[in-house]
Amino acid sequence: MTAPTLAPGRGPRRRAEQRVWAGFALPGVLWLTALFVVPVYAVLAVAFGSTDPILRVADPEWNPLRWDATSMSKVLHRVFGGDLGTVFVRTLSFVALALVGCIVIGYPVAYFVARHARRSRGVLLAALVLPFWISYLMRMLAWTNLLQVDGYVNRLLGWLHVMPTPRNWLDGDWPTVTIGLVYGYIPFFILPLYAALERLDGRLIEAARDLGASRFSTFLWITLPLSVPGLLAASVVTILPMSGDYYTNTYLSSGSPKTEMIGNQIEFYLRGSSQPQVGASLVLLLMVLLMVLMVHYLVTTIRQQRASER
Amino acid sequence: MNSSRRQFLARSARLGVLLGAGVPLLHACGGDSSSNGAVSDPIADGLEPEAGPLRIYNYADYVNPEVIADFESMYGVKVEITTFDTDAEAITKLASGAVKVDLHHSMSPNTIGRLIAGGIVQPLNRSYVPNAANVLDAFTNPSYDPQGAHSLPYTLFTTGIGYRADRIDAATVTELGWNLLWTPDYRGQVSILDDYRESPAMAMLRNGRTDINTDDPTEVDAATASLSELIDLVNVKINIEGYKDVPEGVTTVAHTWSADMLNGANGYLPEGVGPEVLGFWFPPDNNGVVNNDCMGVLAGATSPVLAHLYLNFILDAAVAEKNFSWTGYLPAITALDGDFLIAQGYVPENLRTCVPTNDQISKALRFEPLEPDTDLLWEDAWSRFTAGG
Repeated sequence: MTAPTLAPGRGPRRRAEQRVWAGFALPGVLWLTALFVVPVYAVLAVAFGSTDPILRVADPEWNPLRWDATSMSKVLHRVFGGDLGTVFVRTLSFVALALVGCIVIGYPVAYFVARHARRSRGVLLAALVLPFWISYLMRMLAWTNLLQVDGYVNRLLGWLHVMPTPRNWLDGDWPTVTIGLVYGYIPFFILPLYAALERLDGRLIEAARDLGASRFSTFLWITLPLSVPGLLAASVVTILPMSGDYYTNTYLSSGSPKTEMIGNQIEFYLRGSSQPQVGASLVLLLMVLLMVLMVHYLVTTIRQQRASER
Repeated sequence: MNSSRRQFLARSARLGVLLGAGVPLLHACGGDSSSNGAVSDPIADGLEPEAGPLRIYNYADYVNPEVIADFESMYGVKVEITTFDTDAEAITKLASGAVKVDLHHSMSPNTIGRLIAGGIVQPLNRSYVPNAANVLDAFTNPSYDPQGAHSLPYTLFTTGIGYRADRIDAATVTELGWNLLWTPDYRGQVSILDDYRESPAMAMLRNGRTDINTDDPTEVDAATASLSELIDLVNVKINIEGYKDVPEGVTTVAHTWSADMLNGANGYLPEGVGPEVLGFWFPPDNNGVVNNDCMGVLAGATSPVLAHLYLNFILDAAVAEKNFSWTGYLPAITALDGDFLIAQGYVPENLRTCVPTNDQISKALRFEPLEPDTDLLWEDAWSRFTAGG
């Protein structure tokens, strides 16, 4: 049997077709340029710029040749071995704990909806999207009402005799902030994970069962490994916004310094001080830190894609 | 090829128009600074008011909506209010042109000098504002704006301790003063103001220092260290929620503004609880802070005459009284003093201390604008404290 040969003139036509399809990406490229590249460059220009001597507002320096690294240097000094290092560590700890919470709660939900919910799948998916209809801020405010000393959480715990003495949940405790982060971002975690689990090849699971694997073994050796890309995607999508969050802490700890996150420091320097360069430098540092995670995700995804193509 | 900043901005602006997104972004970064010098000439006398709308820039809920409605009826114009959260945010948006308004309703004395020097506000023509005669004498020639050339005072307030009078007796408050905030008995129920000037200044006063505008790093560090003690000692909270947290009983001792307790008494007490549960303490030796907000007309105002007429309107005694009844912040005019406000039923007798007296206004300490390097010193100290000590 011989390999089929291309008809004369088909090559240029294919290239033209490819150009047409590539053209479809143009709106996305322009959109990304407007909403990612330009803002990031603006942050760089502020971080390495100066302050207007009279008004003391940001005076961005758009020419990279004239960038001044004084503020970045000051920030690095405070981050590595200084007070801001503590805030970074605290933030990452909160995010890590919240991610664990998202996995523990979100994975079973995504798994059930993707693999076992049949008629109710549409309703469950709608329920998962439902929180997006309400502003994040409003949802956090609702939590403050629930968690007040005389709020419903304490009333319920008292009624169940779990905690007879009311607890002040809004007293600047890390568990409250972590729970708030889990609550706020778990839909971001479940949806991409659901999409990944839903695409799993059911024949592989059937084959494992046919070959005598128990339900648990099938999950452990087939489903879980195959869902790792989905887990990674869900984690990235969740970690990115959580790391820069500042209002969850603001609302759920009444402004306690014990739960200050890096987003709070960024907010102070950008909105309440005469040093926007410091705020912009913190934004860049956080971006670099999260970029490491993104690179890891991309490398893992590309490797798995190549492995599956072999 | 090298390009100038202006060329880059021009190209970016064109790109922004193309993409529909770039221009607001670049403006938000303060790309086109307006620091081109103070505006020297006020508007001419006898001009007719514009058709409006009058665009006002203010903190949220800082003017009585009925007062605004009355102004709209009186002049047949529409009033549009744009809000801001912090003074720094207001300056940034005005400087960048991201916000275009006619009247700044709440300029801080600390930063009004920047707005004048930066050409953001214009001099006032007082021929349109005869009610300026109602302003308290202390504000006819304020240090932050000589002769009041660019501003008129809006409200004034002191900073002290709001507390639950049903939990702490007045004698204890008097005895402890600022140390009330450092009392472990109230652990978990203490808050201080989320303000990089107010709270360190309070710590300085507690430490017996009265130079609340110091440029001495040792003094600022000592104040920060005192504030840091509060983290473990009383599990302090940093916010501006005293106006509701004290009336609701969440907070027992709050470093707060005097008007917050009046607001709390008017709108945040649980049902069946009277204002007698609230108290407000200000240092009897007047070694506390008195502050005010002021109003001015923007240099780029499209309705400057209307803005002047609004200033005149808001300084009318009856209008000011109506405004006070809703905001709880005392207008800086002569007609409204403690006795009058208590007699009218606006202020409970036990919260008389929330109304600054003439003695306090003239003798209490005031925040002065800081030099840029000193400002950084205070800001960084505050950042270190809020980071957790």
